[in-house]
Amino acid sequence: MADKKYLKPEYYDNRELSWIEFNYRVLSEVKDKHIPLFERIKFLSITASNLDEFFMVRVASLKDQEHAGYVKRDIAGMDAGEQLVAINEKTHQLMEEQYRTWNRSLLPALKKEGLHIIEHHEALNKEQADYVDEYFAKNVYPVLTPMAVDSSRPFPLVRNKTLNIAALISNKDNTHEYDLATVQVPSVLDRIVPLPSSVEGEKTVILLEEIIEKNLDKLFLNNKVICSYPYRIMRNADLSIDEEEAEDLLQEIEKQLKRRQWGEVIKLEIEDHADKKLLRELKKQLSVNDEDVFKMNGPLDLTFLMKVNGLEGFDHLKYEKWTPQPAKMLHADENLFDQIRRKDILLHHPYETFDPVVEFVKSAAKDPNVLAIKQTLYRVSGHSPIIAALAQAAENGKQVSVLVELKARFDEENNIIWAKKLEQAGCHVIYGLVGLKTHSKITLVVRREEDGIRRYVHLGTGNYNDSTAKLYADLGIFTASELIGEDATAVFNMLSGYSEPPVWNKLTVAPIWLRDRFIELIKREQQHAEEGKEAHIIAKMNSLCDQKIIAALYEASAAGVKIDLIVRGICCLKVGIPKISENITVRSIVGNFLEHSRIYYFYNDGWEEVFMASADWMPRNLDRRVELLFPVEDEDLKEEVIHVLEVELNDNVKAHLMQSDGSYVKPDRRGKEAVNSQDYFCEQAKQHRVVEKRKDKHIFEPITAPETEEE
Amino acid sequence: MAYSVFAAIDVGSNDVSMKIYQISSGSGIKLLDTVSQYLALGRDTYRTGKISYELVEELCQVLLRFKHKMKEYRVAEYRAKASSAVREAANREVILNQIMLRTGIDVQVVSNSERHYLMYKGIASHTADFNHIIQKNTAILDMGAGSVQISIFDKQALATTQMLRIGAMRIQGLLENEQDRIIGFHDMLTEYVGNEMETFESFYMKDKSIKNIIAVGDEIAAMIKLVPELSIHNSINQEQMDAIYAKVQTMQPQQMSSRYGIPLEVASLLLPAAVVYKLFLQRSKAELIWTPGIDFCDGIAADYADTKKKVPLNHDFQEDILSMAKNIAKRYHCNNPHINDVAEVGLEIFDRMRKVHGLDKRARLLLQIAVTLHDCGKYINMNAGGTDAYNIIMATEIIGLSHKERKLVANIVKYNTIWLPSYDELNSSLSREEYIIISKLTAILRVANALDRSHRQKMKHIKASLKDKTLVISTDTIADISLEKALFQSKADFFEEVYGIRPIIKQRRTF
Repeated sequence: MADKKYLKPEYYDNRELSWIEFNYRVLSEVKDKHIPLFERIKFLSITASNLDEFFMVRVASLKDQEHAGYVKRDIAGMDAGEQLVAINEKTHQLMEEQYRTWNRSLLPALKKEGLHIIEHHEALNKEQADYVDEYFAKNVYPVLTPMAVDSSRPFPLVRNKTLNIAALISNKDNTHEYDLATVQVPSVLDRIVPLPSSVEGEKTVILLEEIIEKNLDKLFLNNKVICSYPYRIMRNADLSIDEEEAEDLLQEIEKQLKRRQWGEVIKLEIEDHADKKLLRELKKQLSVNDEDVFKMNGPLDLTFLMKVNGLEGFDHLKYEKWTPQPAKMLHADENLFDQIRRKDILLHHPYETFDPVVEFVKSAAKDPNVLAIKQTLYRVSGHSPIIAALAQAAENGKQVSVLVELKARFDEENNIIWAKKLEQAGCHVIYGLVGLKTHSKITLVVRREEDGIRRYVHLGTGNYNDSTAKLYADLGIFTASELIGEDATAVFNMLSGYSEPPVWNKLTVAPIWLRDRFIELIKREQQHAEEGKEAHIIAKMNSLCDQKIIAALYEASAAGVKIDLIVRGICCLKVGIPKISENITVRSIVGNFLEHSRIYYFYNDGWEEVFMASADWMPRNLDRRVELLFPVEDEDLKEEVIHVLEVELNDNVKAHLMQSDGSYVKPDRRGKEAVNSQDYFCEQAKQHRVVEKRKDKHIFEPITAPETEEE
Repeated sequence: MAYSVFAAIDVGSNDVSMKIYQISSGSGIKLLDTVSQYLALGRDTYRTGKISYELVEELCQVLLRFKHKMKEYRVAEYRAKASSAVREAANREVILNQIMLRTGIDVQVVSNSERHYLMYKGIASHTADFNHIIQKNTAILDMGAGSVQISIFDKQALATTQMLRIGAMRIQGLLENEQDRIIGFHDMLTEYVGNEMETFESFYMKDKSIKNIIAVGDEIAAMIKLVPELSIHNSINQEQMDAIYAKVQTMQPQQMSSRYGIPLEVASLLLPAAVVYKLFLQRSKAELIWTPGIDFCDGIAADYADTKKKVPLNHDFQEDILSMAKNIAKRYHCNNPHINDVAEVGLEIFDRMRKVHGLDKRARLLLQIAVTLHDCGKYINMNAGGTDAYNIIMATEIIGLSHKERKLVANIVKYNTIWLPSYDELNSSLSREEYIIISKLTAILRVANALDRSHRQKMKHIKASLKDKTLVISTDTIADISLEKALFQSKADFFEEVYGIRPIIKQRRTF
């Protein structure tokens, strides 16, 4: 157990607030005028979808805790109620900032570039208005289901996250002033509708809800529409309780579940100039508290900007599309297994292509000497070539075991479809361990060779998803190491429900040993520091919020260990606390690619050790998931990975440095060369290809006399 | 491809496990995969005397999954062996039949001594310096749930083996009720185990100074995990044992489990196990405990590789079985020259008669053991030697022999001096095949024994040759062999009855 001295709540940031802080960093990309306009739009869309997910999962869970009267405080000493208050305040600020940026900066800039987004139908000219009406009649009207609310018809169930239009309509019987009506903006139709444009080279689009609003009277022929406004709600409709909470909490909530109103509305978004009566009526019908009403100065649900980003004709306002380069350590014309057998191979995506990983499974499926293929799948792409290859392998008579994690959030449905497909092809599909999500990314190929059975393993920090591998920065290795092969076999045995092996050679597996292993490694650095030796930890991950690990880092820092952390998202650790974390730096890289790799470096008195993992330093990774930590032992690979860390530590373009007050600022670049780590890796990958090509040209090398060795 | 893939399945008392090996003459036995599933078959058997239907069902499920795994490696051959939990179950035949029908897996039941014999083969095959270790007197401690099997290698050959009922789980259970009084528990354990050891020591270890101990079992491996700081590789010395002992004594099983990743079931047995190892180390004054980390599956694989001549062992275990038998004979003061003489003649006859009796090498070994032990009953009663010998043999473990084989040996010895009734009259649990083997080998033993009736080894250079319906046993001797000849007739009658061949003695008087 860590020293109490390092566990004080004031030494920790609340994870939810830290997460909102992360979105401010993304928002800063939106504001950055050096970034192409359409990329900035994309980032704004990301902040919007981030917030949606945050409410559905985290805020909903906190609301549950509050209702359950759960009083346990988080590591920063806040109970659920206090967190909700703080989140509410911060979210309001963040959303205001989103819309301020949208209105003041993006919208005018888009106009300047010839893209007009019509936010209010009143701004349409005659020609456009006619087009819109026709579009409504043809495409929209048939799929609308308007619903009026009166004494005989209760307020309908408005679906989570959907965009709707609320209207006040005149009451037919004149028994009271007005009735409330609501209609869902159909999600089957595109949110943005292009309009005929009069000016050459310019584009005009209108939002779907505006088309509906303009024609709302056609839906309520017998009533007069008094006013109408789009609105959107987030519900606590997710019945599965967030797995990130402690088990005792789960039981607590289960007891309280009956008391909870199903589908409670936790957020209502509406335009900021909405009619007061309408808002009052909506609030009443949806039972929303005042503080949960978010008034927006602009269109609701900014995720439509991803669609805007996809509009044709604006490629000059985007980054040049990155094409992942061939892997540096692989030769395309040689058998992959032969190359892996000869030497471990490192892949750095998306700088290097993900193809070899797909190829690994594909060629295993075809190879007559391959006996078995085993793989864990967490999130796979829509038309995953890996799934197809696995199915093919099973059809070719190989033993194929696939662990499909059904619990991958928001992907459940997708996963079930693939799992069924694999089963039909004859694969042995395992659905994970009870109570544990399988988050590890590992593939094992068992091959019968001349001199014996040999195992080939791929281990990665990212999912086996060929689509996201083009956007997520991840690392992976191929190895034919016998010891890792044995461990990989044991991992799959364990996942199939067999007992754990008595010993692991090289891999460390969460949830059983991973935290202890990390703490052991941190303590070793601490010991070296205490002995007056150099001690250094560099760790890169997505999120850092495990209290035990943070406490261990504080203790190590206090002992003099230099600790450099590269944490993209949540970070509950605070820097600059006197005598606690003065030796710790935290930076977050928010770039064009999503930083997703997990790398852990320990100086170890000169015997440097480098690990990679599927796990962050989060309780959920260390307690409730099957995760893998694997060492990078090949000296060349190790050097390469350390280089990755070094470049990222030198990044002064996309990096944000954490300050002692918890805020983040970009580093001072005066007098320094600009380093954008992601650009650097792209460049490096491209240059390598140039070198490769040159090699192919068969440069003739003159034979010179050998140098004589000195006696 | 110059290797084969083999699977060994151990249907144990606490779990069912399978190991898959790659076996080649070039690189030996290489472990490829291990799977193990907790299944408390033993609890059923030991409590109710049989294994419940539900557990058999579960067992079949596990074995079906194993079968799937075998496919994964295209396993060419497998051996599945079950020990005490199945062996002692009243419904054992039904269970084995069920498994066969449901899974197609042929599970063989092994005796305690067979099990340990295979374990020793495993140790010999996995421990490169096995022959080096046993150059000094060595004890093997094989810790099971209920008992500890202690075997002693004396002058590189297995001298004795005994089962002590001090298995970790048994003593833990035995003293469980007393555990509340924590203070006394530890002393009680020491006293209980110490007492058993003392008995063993005074009977079997007195004249031997043990230098090495080889320890096998789950517990010893777990104990090593407790002391990562000592970086124990494959042997533990007295000092290291003390450190382990100190840790086991002070830590709670939960702690050991979470801190060192030891399964809780094993962790809770470490205290009694440590007491056994520590006391044995103390009493035997051995220098080192070797920990080869071998389990039953490894033994099965080693035996397979050895008998199939894929990876022959460099230790002769057949010799060990004989050496054990000789030690038993010695304990009962049997006459060694007589035994040697009878053995020589008996084996000569066995070999000449091979085409007639059609028995294999294993039967030859059984004959050899029967010869070695044929007089041990006289230790108890000069006149009823046969029955007493039978009882002694049935009560003595002979490592490497199955229970069935031990029964054969005991019967051969018994009917050496007692009239052998017909199979129907006998009305015993013996199968017809077993009865025939007993008859055939008894006939040879009787003849060979009669030729040295005087126990004075009068006949030299005995040769046997088969001519039509006679077996001519010729001997060079100038001694008076009237006694032998006179008593020979009744033995020859029996021999003729069994084989349809008449043995006759031909004396070549050479001067």
